[in-house]
Amino acid sequence: MPFCLLDVDKDIPEREQHVYIKDSKDTNGHCQKCNTTTIPGSMTERGCAFAGVKGVITGAIKDVLQVVHSPVGCSAYGNGTTKRYPTNSTMPDGSTFPVENFNLKHIVGTDLSESDVVFGGMKKLKATIREGAKEYPFVNAIYVYATCTTGLIGDDLDAVCKEMQAELGKDVVAFNAPGFAGPTQSKGHHVGNFTIFEKLVGTKEPLETTDYDINLIGEYNIDGDYWVLEKYFDAMGIRVLSKFTGDACHDELCWMHKAKLSLVRCQRSATYVAKLIEEKYGVPYIKVDFFGPEYCAENLRTVGKFFGKEIEAEAVIKKEMEKIQPEIDFYKSKLQGKKVWISAGGPKSWHLAKPLEEYLGMDVVALSGLFEHEDGYEKMQERAKDGTIIIDDPNTLEMEEVVEKYHPDIVLGGIKEKYFFHKLGVSSVMIHSYENGPYIGFEGFVNLAKDIYTAIYNPAWSLMEFEDEEPGDTNE
Amino acid sequence: MSELNVIKKERTSVINPLVTCQPLGAMYAVMGIYRGMPLVHGSQGCSTFVRYGFSRHYREPADIAVTSLHEDAAVFGGRKNLISGLGNLAQRFKPDVMGVVTTCSSEIIGDDVGGFIKTAKQEIIKKMGEEAASKIKIVQINTPSFVEHQYKGYDNAIKAIVDTLAEPKDEENGKLNIVPGIVNPGDIREVKHMLSLMGVEGILLTDTSDPFDSPLRPSVAEKTPYYQKGGTTVAEIQDCANSLGTISLANYASSAPASLEKKYNMPSKVSEAPIGIKNTDSFIRTVKKFTGNDVTEEILDERGIVIDAMADVASRYLFGRTVAIYGDPSITVGMARFITELGMIPKVVCTGAKNDYFIDDLKKVAKESDEDIDALSGQDLRALDVYLKENPVDLLIGHSDGRLMAKDLGIPLYRVGYPVYDRVGYQRRPIIGYNGALNLVDGITNTIIDKYYEPQDWKLQQ
Repeated sequence: MPFCLLDVDKDIPEREQHVYIKDSKDTNGHCQKCNTTTIPGSMTERGCAFAGVKGVITGAIKDVLQVVHSPVGCSAYGNGTTKRYPTNSTMPDGSTFPVENFNLKHIVGTDLSESDVVFGGMKKLKATIREGAKEYPFVNAIYVYATCTTGLIGDDLDAVCKEMQAELGKDVVAFNAPGFAGPTQSKGHHVGNFTIFEKLVGTKEPLETTDYDINLIGEYNIDGDYWVLEKYFDAMGIRVLSKFTGDACHDELCWMHKAKLSLVRCQRSATYVAKLIEEKYGVPYIKVDFFGPEYCAENLRTVGKFFGKEIEAEAVIKKEMEKIQPEIDFYKSKLQGKKVWISAGGPKSWHLAKPLEEYLGMDVVALSGLFEHEDGYEKMQERAKDGTIIIDDPNTLEMEEVVEKYHPDIVLGGIKEKYFFHKLGVSSVMIHSYENGPYIGFEGFVNLAKDIYTAIYNPAWSLMEFEDEEPGDTNE
Repeated sequence: MSELNVIKKERTSVINPLVTCQPLGAMYAVMGIYRGMPLVHGSQGCSTFVRYGFSRHYREPADIAVTSLHEDAAVFGGRKNLISGLGNLAQRFKPDVMGVVTTCSSEIIGDDVGGFIKTAKQEIIKKMGEEAASKIKIVQINTPSFVEHQYKGYDNAIKAIVDTLAEPKDEENGKLNIVPGIVNPGDIREVKHMLSLMGVEGILLTDTSDPFDSPLRPSVAEKTPYYQKGGTTVAEIQDCANSLGTISLANYASSAPASLEKKYNMPSKVSEAPIGIKNTDSFIRTVKKFTGNDVTEEILDERGIVIDAMADVASRYLFGRTVAIYGDPSITVGMARFITELGMIPKVVCTGAKNDYFIDDLKKVAKESDEDIDALSGQDLRALDVYLKENPVDLLIGHSDGRLMAKDLGIPLYRVGYPVYDRVGYQRRPIIGYNGALNLVDGITNTIIDKYYEPQDWKLQQ
């Protein structure tokens, strides 16, 4: 059995099923337990379903007013104040949306109080949607989110949204993913996808279509990721008809059925919607991977082949590779043999493993996921070398033990863990929201390599301990 | 004499909130206890969002556990989750204190948290033995998130911590209890510094300074589990029943001082934060009154250095400039008063909290000021945004959530409060006390110089 009970887990032995050590001799097809509830009392890194839908799926849309039906907390926490999802103000018809980064600047909440919890909050929700529409008359749609509170008191969001849609004459969409739904934020992704598919896709037609139209699904424009990929597709003569949802506008979601092909970038959060569109509208989808030069090249070729644009794809690959090769060589010389632990939320743990090994010569010693499902862990297991530890939903105690046993030089993870690893003397780079991104594509991989290099070679690590003797004194 | 013009919220909704929910304040309070661990009884988002926020602001780890409520708990209640959560946390982390923080969900479900804690205690004794279990204190903190805001949650938590843990003895300990409010490590360190200059020993209720600003020294760090340095020990908290008195530095945090006063007959004083000269003077006088210790030359010298800095810069850079202040109900009032001490005009002060003290305290500031002050009470950042479009000011003072608004309005922002995630070091530099005032003089003046002494902005001076 390749499962492993960490020392710190002796009091919660069920964790053994979540920790897997790669052993290629074990061919029983074991997959670790995942996508199940976190053991209470753990320091989990997971979020909630509301975080999944608003924070990941819909938070990146540029022309939508976000209304959170909750006490003030969820609205405050749902406020997009990071540099994670930047948007520009260009709309598909060439017009300009009046506020740049609107999605990062404004959030509306129903601010529920005790009496609303007792008597219901639907009246307040209606008033709030009206006020939001008045405050920001230029938005093209309003998205409304359930939360723990409104899920428990049983407010009918769909009914309110239907009524408000008729009154306001613009799409008002309810997303019913209260925080307690499902074991992780992944449940929120699921609800977001189904809601968008059922209520929006197929309801609008694009101004024009071409033979080279794609949906780019599961690309949230983290730190400008989308703008990197858009450049490659532009150069290939391929048009992104709909983004999902980085730097997208509401209408793009409504006409996703008109593309010729869907590409799925984040395969944890977004495959569902591509599948549904294929089933109903016959738009085929392929899962793509643009992290690391090789995957990026391989997938551009696949897309090129689909559209008969192989030559264009080769040209992009050649040009970009020539640009980055010298830098990659430099970083490889510095990072060769450094041990790395990739602890992403979803698929980055298997996206990044090979590129870090092949292009930077790094040694992947540990992999983990927060809300990953079986398919993701199968890929991680497939891409890991023997002895790599693969952990589902690691908690802080386990992280400490893995650091002690596997001695990573760097952990690629999120901000909540970053400073914890620093305290253990291990450098860390954020790969959820990025340090100096974008990290996607050819030049993005260089950005990542640079951030890893600067994190590991940060002089602070060598200064951590005070030396009692003046260096060199002992040799005299 | 000038007046305070209170502008009440006209909307039902909240747009770009300036406050968040009670549990955050409670988690903050528990993290100020040595080996203290918050256990949030709610969904994972309830702990994760707060951990994320703390990590961004303090650039430190924030260990907060959660009972991970899901659909089954929504239907059958969170009994199983809380009892096993407390058991697991106790066994695996061996904390000194576990603070059970309730949320929207656990409050709505109607969980009998007190009852569950009793059962959990029995379970912990069974698993760990009487002696080990007795070392772990459990504090129940009720923080329904649909009532008020994080400041109330902080107040509830400090009261619950004190009420649960304080142990009176026959003798006074000669110490002074301080409830710092939701402030930064630098502020708490400044409070300790002022007390030490007056020869006073304090008990911080609670002390988040080291837990949120811990040294990187792996060779000496407490490991497996890793705990951040510092925090108020259980022994100190127990001893707070025997102190000379209690001073709260945040007007929203009055419950613990009142409880201590009532139970143990010790004096208490609740005020806005000691920001600026007059407020700090008042704090020092209270310390003197409660302890009988003299105001030392060192303190007067530190005070004098600030006055010197103010004398140097006020007329050239600051005088007559208008300021908008937003954020914490206690800190904003302190800031407003200091702004008047700098010869600037606090045109508008905005807080998300509905807090009577806020209005009363601000009225006093308005009386001292030469011009009327507008108060946005129980409001949000959007209300301030709309206000400022019609009534522009020269300077904004508040936290990072207003940074994009400030940029759009073209008004420089001096960062104060929580959260500040787009500047470094703010959490280390105090705004409290005389040294805090000195930081503010420097920071505010430099922000003014940055903007209004650039050629393109000279015209604004006329």
